[in-house]
Order: sequence, then C-alpha cells, then structure tokens
Amino acid sequence: MIDPMVASAPPAFRPAGPLPASPLAPYAGPWNARLAAHLLRRAAFGGSPSDIQTAAGQTMNAAVDALIHFPSTDSLPEGPELIDNDEGTPIALPQIALPQTMASPMPDASGADPATSAIVEARKARQMLRRRQELANVTWWLDRMLVSPAPLQEKMTLYLHGHFATASGTKGIYGTDIVDQNWLLRHYALGNWRDLTHQIARDRAMLKWLDNARNVKAHPNENFARELMELFTLGIGNYTENDVRESARAFTGYTFRRRTGEFYFNVAQHDDGDKTFLGHTGNLSGDDVIDIIFTQPAAPKYFARRLLEFFVYSDPEPELVDAVAATIRKNDFNMAPVMSVLFRSNVFYSDRTYRALVKSPVEFAIGSYKLFGFTEVAPQTVGVLNRMGQVPFHPPSVKGWDGGAQWLNTQTILARENFASEITTAAAQSKNFLNAAPPAPARDEAQALTHTILQGDASPASVADLESYLDGRGTSADGMLSGENFEERMRGAAYLTMAMPAYQLS
Amino acid sequence: MQRSRFLIGSLAGLTVSANATDLFAKALAMPALPNVAPGAVDDRVLIVINLQGGNDGLNTVVPYGMPNYYRYRPTLGISPHDVLDLDNTIGLNPQLAPLKAMYDKGQVAIVQGAGYPNPDHSHFRSTEIWQTAEPEHYVSTGWVGRYLDEADLPESNLFNAVALAPVLPAVMVGRRVDVPAIAALRGYGLSSDGNVGERAAFATVVHDDRVPFSSPYLATVATIEDHAQRGSEELPKLIAGYASQATYPATPLGRSLSLAAQIVGSRLGTRVIYVQHGSFDTHAAQKPTQDRLLHELADAVKAFYDDLAAHGEEKRVLTMTFSEFGRRVAENGSRGTDHGEAAPMFLIGGGIAGGLYGKHPSLDALDNGDATFTTDFRSVYATILEKWFQRPTTGVLAGSFPTLPILT
Repeated sequence: MIDPMVASAPPAFRPAGPLPASPLAPYAGPWNARLAAHLLRRAAFGGSPSDIQTAAGQTMNAAVDALIHFPSTDSLPEGPELIDNDEGTPIALPQIALPQTMASPMPDASGADPATSAIVEARKARQMLRRRQELANVTWWLDRMLVSPAPLQEKMTLYLHGHFATASGTKGIYGTDIVDQNWLLRHYALGNWRDLTHQIARDRAMLKWLDNARNVKAHPNENFARELMELFTLGIGNYTENDVRESARAFTGYTFRRRTGEFYFNVAQHDDGDKTFLGHTGNLSGDDVIDIIFTQPAAPKYFARRLLEFFVYSDPEPELVDAVAATIRKNDFNMAPVMSVLFRSNVFYSDRTYRALVKSPVEFAIGSYKLFGFTEVAPQTVGVLNRMGQVPFHPPSVKGWDGGAQWLNTQTILARENFASEITTAAAQSKNFLNAAPPAPARDEAQALTHTILQGDASPASVADLESYLDGRGTSADGMLSGENFEERMRGAAYLTMAMPAYQLS
Repeated sequence: MQRSRFLIGSLAGLTVSANATDLFAKALAMPALPNVAPGAVDDRVLIVINLQGGNDGLNTVVPYGMPNYYRYRPTLGISPHDVLDLDNTIGLNPQLAPLKAMYDKGQVAIVQGAGYPNPDHSHFRSTEIWQTAEPEHYVSTGWVGRYLDEADLPESNLFNAVALAPVLPAVMVGRRVDVPAIAALRGYGLSSDGNVGERAAFATVVHDDRVPFSSPYLATVATIEDHAQRGSEELPKLIAGYASQATYPATPLGRSLSLAAQIVGSRLGTRVIYVQHGSFDTHAAQKPTQDRLLHELADAVKAFYDDLAAHGEEKRVLTMTFSEFGRRVAENGSRGTDHGEAAPMFLIGGGIAGGLYGKHPSLDALDNGDATFTTDFRSVYATILEKWFQRPTTGVLAGSFPTLPILT
C-alpha cells in the first residue's frame, strides 16, 4: 500500500533527469554571457550588463579565478557607522547600563505604575539607539555586498551567516556584536572551516545567542552543544542525546568578559570530569569536542549538502554530496580549493543547475541594484527585505533561512514585485541601459530588455506582450513607443520583465 | 556615488503601499462577492496558534498542588496565591486571567501533557513533527495541508486556508491547495500605479512558464505569482464589509486575530487560519518574557472571541494552540528552562465542552529530567478532524488515535 503521506508529498525540487557523468570534472563546453551571468548570480550578487560582458569575454577559468583570488578590499568602509548615546559613547560596548529593576519582571500589565515611567522612557531611548545601530549594521553590509571588489567573499559570508545563523537585537546581542561575528565569518569565508568553528564557539554573539555564556558546571546549558552538532556540523541522526549532554559539559565555562566582550575560559565554571562524546572518553574541552566532530564522516557530508543547496541546486543527489564531501575532506576543510572545483564543474554549468534555485531576497535586491548600476543601497531597503523574508543579521532562528520554496509565498512575491516597481522608477531617472540609447522600435527594445535582464530567458509570448505594452496597445490614449513616452514605457517594461518568473530564479 | 532614495518609509519596514489604501477605498464601493457558492461551504473554522519556541507548560498550566513543582522551580515557581485555580491541584498562570474567565464559561478545554513518543528536543525537528504529525518519518506536507487536500475544496477559492505569517508554515503545505501567506493586510497588494496596459501585461507575464529553460521551481513561481496578484486584489474587497466589534491589543497577535475575525466573518469558505506567537524559547530570565507573551495571548484571544460573539460567529470558530515542546522540569542556572517534552494544549471556542482533559504529567517519575506525555497530540488532531470538520483521518493522520470528548 502506498503510504498516504508519501503520495501527497509536494513536488521535489531536485532538477529532473540524471546527474552528468564526472559531475565535478572541469567544464569544457562553450562559454557565453548566459553562463557568465549564471556564475555571477551564484558566486556573486549578479552584475551590471558590463560586469557580465567582462566575465563573458574572459575564459571560464579566468572568470572563476577573478572571484576566488580577489583583490584587496581596503578601500571599503571599515565598518558600520557607530551610533552614539547622549554621552558620546558608542553603544556597542560597554553597553548602556540600566537601573537594576529593568531586569526584573515587568510591573503588572493591568496598570501602569507612575514610578516606572522614567525607566520606561530610558528603555525607549535605548531602544531607539539600538535600532539605529541595527539599521546602520545592515545597510553597511548591504552596501558592501553591492560594491565590494570581492563579491565571492561577501557571498560566502552570507552563506556562513545562514549556516551559523545568529540574530541581532535579541538575547543581549546589540551594538556591533553581530558585526564582529560578521568579520569573523568574512575572515574565514574561503579559509578553514574547522578553524572557523573553533572561533565561532568563542564568538561573543554566539555565546549570547545560544546561551553558552551561561553554561556552567552546576547547570549545563545544552543549547550551543546541540545546535553545534544539529545545525552547524553533523546534522540530526549523527549523534545521540547523550552526546548532547556530554558535550554541553565540555563547553561549560566558555564565556566572555562583560567589560571587554572578549572570550574567556572560566576555569572555575568548567566541568573537568570525564565525558564520553562520540566514543571518546576523557576530560574533554569544547575544542576537543569540535576536533572530534570534524573527524566524523558526517561532517564533510553535512557541509557538502548545505553548500550544494545554497550554490548549486536543492535536494542534491547523494552521489553528488559524497563527491563534494570527498573534495572537502581532501582539502581538510580549506574552502577556497573546494569552491574553485565547484565553480568550474560540469554539474555547475549543466542545464540542471541553470535557474534551478530561487533567488534569496538579498540576491534579488542586491542583484537588482547591480543591474541598474546603483552603488549605494537605500536604508529603506531593510524594510523591503523584511517583507521579502530576509534581513541580514536577523535570521528567523538558529536554523537560518530555509531558502528554496520557503522564499515564495503570496506575501514575499508581492514584496519583490513592489520592489521591482520602485527600483525601475528610480532607474528610469538615472543613467543606465534603459536610457543609454535613443528609442528603437518596440520589438527591438523588448528583445533587448529580456536579454539584458533575463539573458533571454523569456518565452516569445512574453516578449510579444512587452512589445505590445511598449507600443501602447490595449490603452486608448497613448500611441507607439516614442521619445515622448520612452522613459515611462521603458520603466514599465523593465518592471514587467522583473515580474517574470525567470527573474525570481537564480 | 549614486544613492537611490526611492523607497520612502520607516526603517521598520512599515512603508505603506499607497495602493493598498486605494484598493480598500475601491473595495468599499464594490459588493463583496465571495467566489464560493452560498450554502456550499461547511461553516466551521479552525484557528491554529503556534506558540513558537517551546512554551513552558508547567508555568502555563501550573501543577501547584504537586510538591515537586516547587522543588524543581525554586525561583520560577508560581506561588499558590497567584495561580488561578482550576481543580485544587492545577491552576493557570495569572497572566491568563482573560482565558480563565472563558474557562469558567465552558469555552476553554485544556489538554494536559500533550506530546509524542521518543520526543525530539530540537526546535526544528519537533516543530516539524507537530506540523507534519509524523514523529517517525520526514514528510513534506503538513496535517492541515493534507486535510485541505482531502476535504475536496474548490480549487478556484484562493482562500480555502490562510497563513497569517511572513513565511508559509509546514503545517499548511499540501499537494493541491496553495495557501496564501499574508503577514499583514498592509503591504498585501501591488503598489505599481501603472496604466491599464501595464496591468494587463502584468497579469500575463507573471505566469510565463513557456521559458527556454527548465527549473524545478518554475511552476511554483508561476502559480504563486498568479495567486498573489489575484488574491491581493480580491481579499481586501471580500473582507471590507466586516466591522470589528472589539478592541484588539496593539500586538502582532492582536493584529493577526483581528484580521482572522474579518476573514471568518466575511465567509470566504476559509477552513483554517494559522497565526503565530512568540518566541517562548526562554533559556534565561524566563519570567518577564513568558509573562508578557501569555498576557498577549490571553488578551488577543479574548478580543477575538468578543468580536466573533458580537457577530454571532463564536460557535463556528475553534482555536487550538500548540508549541513544539514544553520545557525541562527543573529550571536551569539562568532562571530559565531548557528544551523539554510534554506540554498542555488549549482548545477554545463557543461550541466546545470546556474543562481539563487528560492527565497532568507526573513530576515524580521524570524521563531524564523531562515530563512524560500523557496524551498523544495526534488525538487532538483526530478530534478536530473527526468531530469538528467531520472528516475521516485517513490520508491525514498515519494510524488511528482515540478522540477526546471535547467536541460533540
């Protein structure tokens, strides 16, 4: 009998058809603007028409090398603007102290106690400063994604942010806690991810986020130990509940100094008894636990699957996962050579990978800014990204963003279309491909738009719809495309092109 | 540098789309035309409230008559003087006073100790288990999604079920019925004020699926684009005739339930509405967070039923709460609690037999520090399916589960 649950499963999102032979062997087929744009969408944040031309004009290997062996980023801003409090102290660290009563339970919500109103005011003021800092943090990173000469570094950092997902603005993570973690992720973006995991266990934002700062000998707190294995390194099914409890003991005493925010190992709160973890017994530390984890065959497989789902396609075949895992193991978790293999591989340039992912909101927004040649992100974009379902530094949970079909629902799709409407309005009034040349016949403009924005990935029927729209068919007042209506019509046609399904796909 | 300052609005993402207001204004001038034939609709509605993050059941439905409670909760234990007594052993958290008043009127049933065998302590896996109703297998449809598929609802209705959430939750995922996710009515609509030609072209190009490439996501994108465009045009018109008769708290849950009442009262054929509330993940300093969230929950639910009652709709609407797990019986060293197991569920409505159901988990014999479940949560789902919706559980729940006498 067919299991009714299986029978009602929704369509899987693994591409149809068989995996190519030697999926990770270097791709040797033709190289063109369509594949160059594909590489830039996946390994960067898309590109302007001229970025795509440049990549298409090189060899595939040169285009990949330019991403992996990236130039210095010293010219970029050193970090977000630091928001000051009234005394001119950056709110990052040390944090503004509040009266002790604020940490205690709220007054009875039924009636406001006038004695607490001063505290309420102080809380509001602090909240406002914190929100301004949050906004500064996010716009700083979005701007960096947009203009960095090392876009792969930013893309890997975004990947790692989803992998080691930590949210700011909660659990005492404020100011630049999350920015410091972001620099850590960026430092190891193409580096050694075992080393990164050791550092993550000492990262202030992470110590707060998963409560390890409060993980003490007398009362072990399992939150970090559990997620370390479940979400960061091994995946469910590769350890037991007992391994969680034992490794939580190993991480006792991993905390940070309240005054400086620096990591510190509190020996007095560390449980130095024997622990048994994944078959190893001894007075294990948290770092021993991480080293043991990285000897497990499940670890490279876990990273391989997550990487494939982010950079290649959903639900990758076990054979493909194993092949990437072997590459990770061979390179001892040094990721530059792994990504180099992936971005040159047969499978990466195969039809099954092309447009096989849904653009994340960040990819959608930054890619659109790049498309029209904007070089700064409007701060209001943070709110737009919120409606699309992804604000950097604010993942919904420690699981990060699921991606894929989870990006798509009525609400988020409308937010994407409304963003497209806004950005095309701005683009029509600045200089870019929409207005670089004098008006051509509607048919040629429609073709050009779908080529520039979608690499030609539109049906002939949709190109014809664009042409009709450009020529004002179906409306009474306006005539054919002309100098007079050019700006307005090109804006509308670009908006329509960005609303096509292909533009939602990477 | 070219800074594009085209998006004008507040930093919290509360930009009001001018067009949403327009649509609303237009809607007032138009008759509401639900696209479901009158009389063809089974009237009953289920509201699912997800208490995200793992709500501490022991401090929600408090076993203050069990001595071990205070032993395990030296700082977090709620004093017997404060609990709202139910039966001399069990009482409600004082923040739930509005729910206690509904309980006293027989409108609240509490299922104690809900859970499942071999409980998982991961938020994600356990949420998935509650949403898919499949503790032992990984499946990609939710139990509500499967019910919607099985109930043979008209595919032309875009609002057979609605998730009031920014992301479609797994519980609402089915194979046939596409459930819209609506974070808020504001922003649910297209903002482009393009001309007639643009709007006509838009309606066509958004579901372009004859493209020169194949993508496993193409059909999904095209369908959702089509539904989003049509649904967002229709919904404000369809619910514009409903005037709220209660003052909802200015909280996210208050806003969600206010919109839920509009949808229910407008009779769109909607069977299930999902809302969420949280986060209850109180590993540290639990009390202020849980107090605030429980207070918000009780306030919003009370307003919701007051509103429904003023419209004579309260008997049509059953509300169910769930959370992915309760929390560890013993508090931790941070005045918080870690992930645990069994926890109570609330069933609320004008058409139910209120009271305490099932047994409160024992605090004498713990499972590795956790309270062991006494009622399988799928019994609650089976009760809702069989007694509320009067549908078989076949194809929705794997296996058969005894129903509870909450619904008659």
